Amino acid sequence: MSSTSAPLSAPLAARAGRAGRLAGSPTLSFIVRRLLAAIPVLFGVTFLSFVVMNSLPGDAAQELLGAQATPAEIHQLEIKLGLDKPFLTRYWDWLHQAVIGHLGHSLSSGQSVASILGSDLPVTFELVGFAFVISLALAVPLALVSARKPNGVADRLSMMFSMAGLSIAPYVLALVLVYVFAVKLNVLPAIGWVPPGQSVSQNIRYLILPAVSIGLGLLCFYTRLLRADLLGQMQGEDYVVTARAKGVRPWRVLTRHALRNSLFGLITVVALNLGTLLGFTVVIEDIFGIPGIGHELLQAIDNRDIPVIEGIVFVFAVIVVLLNLAADVLYSVLDPRIRYGRPTE
Amino acid sequence: MADLPSDLVVAGVAPAADEAAVAKAGGWWRGRLGVTVPAVMVAFIFGLCFIWPIIGPVPPPTGGNILNASLPAFSPGHFLGTDPVGNDEWSRLLYGGRASLEIALAVQAIGLILGGLIGAVAGYLGGWRDATIMRVLDVFIAFPGLVLAVAIAQGLGPSELHTIWALSFFSVPASARISRAATLQLREQTFMTAARLSGTSFPRMVLGHIAPNILPQLLTYALLGMGIIMILEGALSFVGLGVPPPAPSWGNMIAQGQSTISADPRYVFLPSAALFITVVSFNLLGEGLRARWVTQ
Repeated sequence: MSSTSAPLSAPLAARAGRAGRLAGSPTLSFIVRRLLAAIPVLFGVTFLSFVVMNSLPGDAAQELLGAQATPAEIHQLEIKLGLDKPFLTRYWDWLHQAVIGHLGHSLSSGQSVASILGSDLPVTFELVGFAFVISLALAVPLALVSARKPNGVADRLSMMFSMAGLSIAPYVLALVLVYVFAVKLNVLPAIGWVPPGQSVSQNIRYLILPAVSIGLGLLCFYTRLLRADLLGQMQGEDYVVTARAKGVRPWRVLTRHALRNSLFGLITVVALNLGTLLGFTVVIEDIFGIPGIGHELLQAIDNRDIPVIEGIVFVFAVIVVLLNLAADVLYSVLDPRIRYGRPTE
Repeated sequence: MADLPSDLVVAGVAPAADEAAVAKAGGWWRGRLGVTVPAVMVAFIFGLCFIWPIIGPVPPPTGGNILNASLPAFSPGHFLGTDPVGNDEWSRLLYGGRASLEIALAVQAIGLILGGLIGAVAGYLGGWRDATIMRVLDVFIAFPGLVLAVAIAQGLGPSELHTIWALSFFSVPASARISRAATLQLREQTFMTAARLSGTSFPRMVLGHIAPNILPQLLTYALLGMGIIMILEGALSFVGLGVPPPAPSWGNMIAQGQSTISADPRYVFLPSAALFITVVSFNLLGEGLRARWVTQ
């Protein structure tokens, strides 16, 4: 891999316009190598999902026409939808269209896949984004209070809370929240969704329970992560010793010096979670009846709607690959002690 | 090379950045109790789910009499009551836990052996072979597991075995990444060079020298992952995979209880509580063990 990326990285860097000195930077060649390596991954993911969907009994034509359809009718529709072509031909057709940005049309509704993604992705993004805001906004103060006095009362309480939160399944939390806030107290809606364009306050009201269901686990994960990192910084780092020696008070060292460093580490993890989380929202969307991308995906699998599935899988894979890369790069850029130029030598 | 953040997040565990420093700071929980208490809890749960139904007076979890449907808790003979079709709820909890634990154990064992070997081989060989293996694993990590799970459910039908297959797609790559990272750290050690120079064969290097050294670390992550797998097993019940009813698993009991939550939340809360307590026990045990070996 490195032999092919070396000649490629130079012109790419020059085109990026950022000073030529970057061209030889190990970080840049790391990025280029990873991006090149991502191409076969994307190829593999889309091909794998094609194989999986094709190995299922029934196809879109059958699902569209229902159980009563005669084989002749099904065959006709298959020809119309292009499902009669050999498997590899269909994958090739999809692939070379996808490369130039055409994700095709849904087999069941005829809608373009791009427009389906365009209407459903924002819903899921809003849900996940909201969950992130809640979790980060609470994780930072919790971790700071914990790290101020390790093994103190506040620390023990917050560690107990975060262990509990990490151990509760998001769907269990969702059902408990629905029972308490929708069934018993009747203060928040149990299911449904209002687009923000219609009413922002209603939109948020409907989002609270699902977002908390997803966000609590994240909150606990981040709290523990940040606390561990803060303690590590406070105990070992030279800059902390220097600050303390200058007479900066411990709380200020924690919030001004250590936190700043630890947050960098957290950013990389947040970037990573975002990718995996998009997959986990499916069950939450199902419980709360939210018309997001997970809901669409389940429907598409039921309908054997391969273009829609491929579109979603492709977009997800791109997001995951890019976020993984961003996380590992951020990790090295923000912490100059880590270098990817020459791994393990 | 340091642990990449992506390795840890894929494995679903918080990095142990400073466990050693914290352990030095003391705290009774970090001591022996931190391992013993959760270990006893886990043993107790296993005993309840696997041994008690054999030796104790536990009615069968399925085939209950419909005339006994929805009995309240503490009814004679049914101390947690019965479900809407008349099965004993306590028995369903025990047998459900058995299914959930079996699935999680099998998935983690597959992950540990297969993923551990793949990661160790990749990390030891390095170079283009390492890159190729890791890219193939990336495909599985980037592949939405849910598509696979639903596809398996619709193509092969839901069953305990199919659930194990679907979940292994999470555990194998995760375990492989941890194993590779651990192998990379090991590779440059003197004893490895010595073994290599004395002409040790490749299988012997991996199985005899790398495996015993990375095993404690892998086992700890496998324990920490038990909880996640049990949670995922339940999630699969919501999308039609998982253990097919009427046989119980904690996941499918929760998913089924969803429809009656406003009338009788017990059917959600009981299996949820069991799942929660079990996951907490595994997480505490994993944390305790990890703190221990990081300190050493």
